[in-house]
Amino acid sequence: MPRRVVITACSAITPIGYGKETIVNSLRQGKSGVKPLRDDGLLTDHIHSRVFGTVDYPIDYGFTRRYTKTMGPVAFYACRVAGDVLAQSGLDEKFITSGRLGVAFGSTHGSPTVQRNIYKTFFGNLKEEFSSIGAVDYLRSMVHTTAVNITRMFGITGRVIASSTACTTSSQAIGFGYEMVKYGMQDAMLCGGADEYDTTTVAVFDNLLACSVDFNDTPERTPRPFDSDRDGLVVGEGGGAVLLEEYEAAKKRGATILGEIIGFSCNNNGGDLILPNLDGITATLKLALDDAGIGPDAVDLISAHATATKMGDVIEAQAIDAVYGDRPLVTGLKSYMGHCMGTCGVIELTMLLYMMEQEFVAPTLNLDNVDPRCGMLNHVRELVEQRVEIAALENFAFGGVNTCLLIKNGRHLT
Amino acid sequence: MRRDELQTKILAILEDDFEFEHPGLDDNLRDEHGFDSIDAIELLGKIELMLGFSLSRAEKEKAMSIRTINDILDYIEKIQASHQQ
Repeated sequence: MPRRVVITACSAITPIGYGKETIVNSLRQGKSGVKPLRDDGLLTDHIHSRVFGTVDYPIDYGFTRRYTKTMGPVAFYACRVAGDVLAQSGLDEKFITSGRLGVAFGSTHGSPTVQRNIYKTFFGNLKEEFSSIGAVDYLRSMVHTTAVNITRMFGITGRVIASSTACTTSSQAIGFGYEMVKYGMQDAMLCGGADEYDTTTVAVFDNLLACSVDFNDTPERTPRPFDSDRDGLVVGEGGGAVLLEEYEAAKKRGATILGEIIGFSCNNNGGDLILPNLDGITATLKLALDDAGIGPDAVDLISAHATATKMGDVIEAQAIDAVYGDRPLVTGLKSYMGHCMGTCGVIELTMLLYMMEQEFVAPTLNLDNVDPRCGMLNHVRELVEQRVEIAALENFAFGGVNTCLLIKNGRHLT
Repeated sequence: MRRDELQTKILAILEDDFEFEHPGLDDNLRDEHGFDSIDAIELLGKIELMLGFSLSRAEKEKAMSIRTINDILDYIEKIQASHQQ
């Protein structure tokens, strides 16, 4: 018998702030976290796009060397938000270390900062006869570094799922975590993702002509999801985590329930690894509704993937139109912070939970003139004070991977 | 390098790079300072840089039985002696 899965804690480090108060204020005030691209002394001068969703405020981590010795920058984000949700949840150490709590957490490619230091040993002038590659560089940079640094820091002994599917990394982590709890494999899952500042990712999208280049002098005006003048995505950084629990257990212990995950879908386009695919995305949205056992009319709000690429937004708009029509509100939260890659899904989920709790919907920033090809949707262009009961969270990735999560407002469940 | 010089350098490394607080020469490194196998490998890299030559795999494997700072100093003295021969 499938079990109900609820969200009992969330936290995010984002380009528009860390913590609920700061993030909500930024969303309400339409504040962008897109800034000039930081100089990395390597690639920056060769990249056309000079904007980045930037985390530029100090964070007091307070981690000791016992833990930091195996952590790259990406794991700092991951362990901070993981610690936040464990603290918020009120779960005791006995449960956390019982094996009934697992971790589903990922990043796009571990820690590029540490990987870059490894490459320096090959191309630099370091003394070859010595062990110039640090013994822990692999642990700091490996693709599952976020998940296992979390297990190490908090003594978590349950299942580990380290998804790494670019832009669907954290939405997959949440979806797979949901399935772990729903089908009784684990009683709780700590899920999320993180990605650190990395210009190689910017360079990749820049080379594919997918990055924004027309607003280098006015970073806050890009990205522009669904807008006629959109010119591509903006890469960003950050981290986010949610704690998923089986509903009856959460209710019994008196946990605050922020939301319920009622549906998840994940599929592949089965072909091209880059181009958006209308059939694939449409199928994703329908599969999520089927999983939840609801019709499209039950969904009030859609958090679109909406990266502001020229074709991606059009294909997504067509898929939303085909499945939902023009009834639900549609917002593109990447307009505030750029595309935080592997962590975008969990950051957008955290923002949805905040908006559900505080009964408002943040508009898509920079949506000055809706592209007629995206104009059939019910775009949120000004802040709406409205209670949302069910929201859909859409994320799509290179490799043709698509995800959709359906979230129900949790207020009535506490 | 004399033992007292080695001791000064090793204590500095342990305090500065490994965040040891008040290290004692006969403290159990694992129990009292959380020093684990990862740290041991890292320390061997720093010892190589300090001595100015590479350690063989067999020499490195002998380091895995080290338990105290005095053990580290004994180990380095033996390595130095064998490389001087």
